[in-house]
Amino acid sequence: MSNVARKLVPVLLTGAMLALAACSGGGDTPAEPAPPAENGEPAALPEKPESISYWSMWNEGETQQKVIAQAVKAWEEETGIKVDVEWQGRGVVQKLTPALNTNKVPDLVDAAYNKIAPILVTTGQAGSLQGAYDTEIDGKKVSELIPEKYLSGNTQLTLEDGTPWMLPYSISSEGVWFDAATHPDWSSAPPETWDDFITVLDELKTSDQAPLAIDGDIGGYNSAWFSSLMIGENGPGSVDNLITSEDGSAWDAPEVLEIAQRVESLASGGYFIPGYNASKFPAQQEAWGSGKAAMLFSGSWIPAETSTYVKDGFEFDSFPLPTNSEKKYARAEFVGYVTPAKAKNIEWASNLAASVLSIDIQNAYGTEAKSLPVRLDAEVSPELQSVVDHLEAADGIYAAFDGAIYPGYTDKVLFPINNDLVLGKISGEEFVAKMKAATVDYWKNQ
Amino acid sequence: MDRERRKLLIPLVGPAFVFYTVLFIIPSLAAIWISFHKWAGAGPMEFVGFKNYVRIAGDELFRHSFVNTLKLLFVVGIIIFVVAFALTLVLRDMWGKGAVRSIIFFPHLVNALVYGALAGFIFNPNGLVNKILEVFGIDAPPAWLATDNIFMLIMATLVLTMTGYYTTILMAGVDRIPPSLFEDCALAGANAWQRLRYVILPLTWDVFGTCAVLWTITSVKIFEVVWLFGGAATEGGPPIQTWTVAVYTFVTAFGGTSIPAYGMASAASIISLLLVLVLVVLLRRLMRREALEF
Repeated sequence: MSNVARKLVPVLLTGAMLALAACSGGGDTPAEPAPPAENGEPAALPEKPESISYWSMWNEGETQQKVIAQAVKAWEEETGIKVDVEWQGRGVVQKLTPALNTNKVPDLVDAAYNKIAPILVTTGQAGSLQGAYDTEIDGKKVSELIPEKYLSGNTQLTLEDGTPWMLPYSISSEGVWFDAATHPDWSSAPPETWDDFITVLDELKTSDQAPLAIDGDIGGYNSAWFSSLMIGENGPGSVDNLITSEDGSAWDAPEVLEIAQRVESLASGGYFIPGYNASKFPAQQEAWGSGKAAMLFSGSWIPAETSTYVKDGFEFDSFPLPTNSEKKYARAEFVGYVTPAKAKNIEWASNLAASVLSIDIQNAYGTEAKSLPVRLDAEVSPELQSVVDHLEAADGIYAAFDGAIYPGYTDKVLFPINNDLVLGKISGEEFVAKMKAATVDYWKNQ
Repeated sequence: MDRERRKLLIPLVGPAFVFYTVLFIIPSLAAIWISFHKWAGAGPMEFVGFKNYVRIAGDELFRHSFVNTLKLLFVVGIIIFVVAFALTLVLRDMWGKGAVRSIIFFPHLVNALVYGALAGFIFNPNGLVNKILEVFGIDAPPAWLATDNIFMLIMATLVLTMTGYYTTILMAGVDRIPPSLFEDCALAGANAWQRLRYVILPLTWDVFGTCAVLWTITSVKIFEVVWLFGGAATEGGPPIQTWTVAVYTFVTAFGGTSIPAYGMASAASIISLLLVLVLVVLLRRLMRREALEF
């Protein structure tokens, strides 16, 4: 018996090692990106394939999915090419990662910028979407349909050599959300400076509403206070400057402490809804929807996400997070199309991606999906109008944490220390000291 | 006969061995290989030797997660088995023991996801527990879901869900013990502790040994209940106060909005694998006894 086993084992192990070698073949250099089309001319399209494949971040039944499905159907009818869509949901990025190590990659993928950039751009697997940017839609080149401030912002939609790798069709922004039926005055004259804001919060403390709702168990939401205030006062790039400060010296700047102390004052001043430090999402968001708190600082997805449980007669409205800076910045995080460099039908996938920027689809995205379309000339549902107004007026745009994707920094450094600040466990000074030490430590270990 | 058996070895063992190799051995070897690299999941791999292990050893967060895993293994493990043995004493001859056995096993049937989702309903400031406490006039209850308290709740949940499971296995062992031995105990006037010490423990030692190994393996892998208790619904994982090695590994590999560090995540998982191996070998040695015939 042992003889047979002895013979069997090496054979199987050799097979195993071969399979392992095949699995670890992730070091393939991706195919050269397609050369950009000549300026002003749409990219020449190759012969039509029978079908192209598309993995989407939306789940079947979501309002956004319904609009994208309309766009896909219209494109199929126009071109005669079948689109094999897989509605993967938010796990699309996790599913794409292993696929990138094989030759079976989808032609088109949509995802949020901060989820897809870490695995596609940093691994050199992003294909060129130049063809999409050069395509004419509604009589204009796609590159002209996307607001200039989006393209020139800190969020890099192009690779180092200038090749565009992502085509955004939607964005997420943020605001201080409130019920305009209860507080109509904030719609017409919102607080504009930090002091105005604190004055309004102080007035609310004497009312039967808590001033601010916050789900204190969500690290990303807690950190948005520091990140958005810092960037709002000091401009896009100021948070990235802190994160990349290898010797930690950037954390010594007095403006950093000032922002940290503002966040501290929200916790110590009792402005956050009672129980926010010991509840589970979405308890406090729901409390806000039922009128127990007046304001909720959160994303532009709030009207779509909370519409089912807000109290009767609730009118969604928002104002930008008040800052003292003369320049105004708006948060804009992209959701859009990418194509893996190994995809076989990049040109036609780009063509489909471009079609989603047509005004009909963009209007539907703003009104039916109640999400922000990337085109500022598209219609949006009334509850999002204040966010669009802010985006239009903004001097520049930014992403949360300046779009930081350094391995583990947000999850292991920023969120834990910032949670302590927002939950009132440490002071602004302690926050700055801890962040400085942790940042130095982080870079030492990279 | 021996020749016959040899002929059957390949057709009978071969398929299982192939599956086992493909699904477990290759991924484990791949994880060891990846742990020596800096890799974002796709694209080029950079060989870094033992650097990932050194970084993990120096990472306070990993050490904290490791301590939490050990707390689950030992603190929760000891409570589970103390309660389980206490239950075996009671359950052997109590009235309605069949129904009671089913009831205590029931929490184990419920997916951990449910406890995570229910945590909010039960422990939120205006949740079920506080509403009940209010009836009794307690209007300043503890902040159950505060970041420093969640881990205690997770440990309590694990005791609740796992005790019934191990009690059931131990009871199967206890039921094998001939009733005459318990009658002897009664005649000799042995109390409950003596029954446990001189009859139940020695005669269920092998079952207990298996349970201890099972718990060791289970506890090191605990993930979903921690992930869900801490409100990881959207941005960011659960609070670091509750992280276990499994959660640390997951966040490192699938951080969500940062470049995945598969090398470090693999190193962390290899460390947990080693932990399990060492503990299981130690346990097997500690628990080794002469098999008792009865």
